[in-house]
Amino acid sequence: MSTYAELRQQAEAAWRAVESPPRPRVAVSLNTSSIAVGAEESLAALRSEVERRGLVADVAVTGDTGLSYEEPVVEVAWPDGRRILYRRITADMVPRLVEEVLVKDGMAPELALAVASGQARDGVPELTSLDFWKVQTRRLMANCGVIDPENIDHYIARGGYEGLAKALEGMSQEEVIKEVSDSSLWGRGGAAFPAGRKWDFLRTAKRTPKYMICNADEGDPGAFVNRVLLESDPHGVLEGILLGGYATGASHAFIYIRHEYPLAFHRLNAAIQQAREKGLLGEHILGSDFSFDMEVVRGAGSYVCGEESGLIASVDDDRGMPRIRPPYPAQSGVFARPTNVNNVETYAYVSSIIRHGAAWYRELGTEQNPGTKMFSLSGHVARVGILEVPFGTPVRVLLEAAGGVPDGRALKAIQAGGPLAGLLPARFIDIPLEPEAFREQGAQMGGGGIVFVDDSVCVIDLDVMVGHFVEDESCGRCTTCRGGTQRMVDILERIAAGGGRESDFERLQLLGRTIPYANCAHGQAAPTIMLNTLEHFTEEYRQHVLEKRCPARVCKGLIRYEVVRESNGLQEAADICPTRAVVQEAGRWRIDQALCIKCDACREVAPEAIEVVDALVPVAERG
Amino acid sequence: MLETEATLEIKHLISDLKPGDGDLLAALHRVQERFGYIPKDAIGVVARQLRLSEARVYGAITFYAEFRLTPPPETGVSWCSGPACWLKGSARVRDVLEAVLGIRMGESTPDNRVGLHLGQCNGTCECAPMLWVNGRVQGRLSVAEAIRLARELKGETETPP
Repeated sequence: MSTYAELRQQAEAAWRAVESPPRPRVAVSLNTSSIAVGAEESLAALRSEVERRGLVADVAVTGDTGLSYEEPVVEVAWPDGRRILYRRITADMVPRLVEEVLVKDGMAPELALAVASGQARDGVPELTSLDFWKVQTRRLMANCGVIDPENIDHYIARGGYEGLAKALEGMSQEEVIKEVSDSSLWGRGGAAFPAGRKWDFLRTAKRTPKYMICNADEGDPGAFVNRVLLESDPHGVLEGILLGGYATGASHAFIYIRHEYPLAFHRLNAAIQQAREKGLLGEHILGSDFSFDMEVVRGAGSYVCGEESGLIASVDDDRGMPRIRPPYPAQSGVFARPTNVNNVETYAYVSSIIRHGAAWYRELGTEQNPGTKMFSLSGHVARVGILEVPFGTPVRVLLEAAGGVPDGRALKAIQAGGPLAGLLPARFIDIPLEPEAFREQGAQMGGGGIVFVDDSVCVIDLDVMVGHFVEDESCGRCTTCRGGTQRMVDILERIAAGGGRESDFERLQLLGRTIPYANCAHGQAAPTIMLNTLEHFTEEYRQHVLEKRCPARVCKGLIRYEVVRESNGLQEAADICPTRAVVQEAGRWRIDQALCIKCDACREVAPEAIEVVDALVPVAERG
Repeated sequence: MLETEATLEIKHLISDLKPGDGDLLAALHRVQERFGYIPKDAIGVVARQLRLSEARVYGAITFYAEFRLTPPPETGVSWCSGPACWLKGSARVRDVLEAVLGIRMGESTPDNRVGLHLGQCNGTCECAPMLWVNGRVQGRLSVAEAIRLARELKGETETPP
């Protein structure tokens, strides 16, 4: 059995080869976002190109830099310590990168994104000066895109498992929990419950065995911060779970990961295997009396399994339907034994809190909410990506980092925290990223997903989309959630179809009050976005219901496509139309309204000839 | 139940999984990975191995969106239902896929050549709006591109007669 000091020494030797490589090292960022745009092909192309040209260079893999908008990102590290990031290196760009950078020892500034270490050169800026980067403080993400996530030595060499060693060597269970409590770390999954208190519930529970569960079922559409941690720094999560196990007396952990994250599933399993081999998991960890093991459970597509009691039911071989509480998991969780459930990011933060101390944690953020938080940015922004900022940072800073709203559009709304958390109009752009600020507005900050919405969007259309989601994902146990979400969708769809009634305002409010009489967070929060939009976009609702008009010209019952001009593009429009609704009669083009499904394809190919108009024009305005 | 070659294979596939150990999802995943779906005969085998009722196994299969009880289509088109895709026009992409293929979300064509599946956001939102065609991302689709893709999958020519 190796001691931590021995493990660290071996690991540092391995890491030196990365930090100051003996020869150029080209590392492809392999993560879900980069693979979607061809990073695996880039990696294969790099390997074959380096071999074909007989170059003295290593080809390697790293995790996610968070710069999704520039994927595939490739890093070239030089023996002199320079590290340059290159952007959008798809397989077809690889020969050029190899030629200009590796063969000619050049910078290739047109391909470069930033200098990750070293001085800005040839017009290539330093990474820390990029708009997307300069607002960040990377603690949780310190290893993301830096280490090879499938190499445990990289994690250890950069201080990994130091916190665990420290706890096992000289901290009692209570001292570990006190450190976590002193930091005031709270759960990152959305409920914001203090982690230290939760752990103390489990520690004082009488029955054994006790279980730790890591909730990696990041199901909120538009949230992908946990994915980045799991894919890019899995050991950080493992170490936090181990510390939780030590502090609470648990002996086994389940990491419950959603079906949609196969790469994270693979990397977690690889990490667990490596940790076992190093004696960091299993019997007598690092020679101590502490024994602990863990396994990964793969979900199969169910949003409510992200709710802790639904997740426990799912691990228990049941349908993943949330259970009635109490009993709470700390009393009766998985297999009816005491259980603690925390989010991925919560566990990952514990690793560095024990290593650096609670005071370090509290150096950033606000008095009430110290620390940092990861956020994923998507929707109508120029740059999709993942970043980490201190609590209290205004949402505006994130929008600016993301390059603002593109295409000359204006911001209409901010949707933070997934479909249950809420939607705030653009005027809240300076709201600080803290749970209390969102709660005051009848919304939630949530788990880290932020979706920016521009003014091309119709809020009723958006409510229909969210309504379908919450209806679909209701487990069906509670009547108000099951039936209420169905009624909500019915009414919203009727409004969008042009059948809105004045009484609908009251009906929707009533549903908003009734649906939350449900057992779990799903039903309790299902009408949140609808209620937010009713409050903040009353005028838009009024226009739909009373004037039968969709100002964004989106709702299908309230618009028509019309040929407004003859154009050569109309033949193409007719060809592309999936329902053959663009027809020519007596030499004139028109749209057959009975066939048209309002898919917009005709206008896409012949924008000069086709317009969307209000379907129902008030009598007074008719010519 | 009579043992067939298939049930023997399933038995072997899940022989290391234990009752009361939280292994049901793992068992179902293994079966589906092997066959592409969960054959009816597997339900009994899994139930016996994990000492659960067949109803409970069946209940789990139908609860989770990713398990299927029928063979998968030749080409599975998974449509991303996430918000970033939606903001960039995925609802229209869905409309045209359904219109061209003549099926609704969750269905397959009668010859089982193409199927539509409702996918969940995995955070590759820079590709919005996107589809997974047999697991491979096809992103930043215009409505016209989605129509052409659907026609191609259906085996139609670019311009219908």
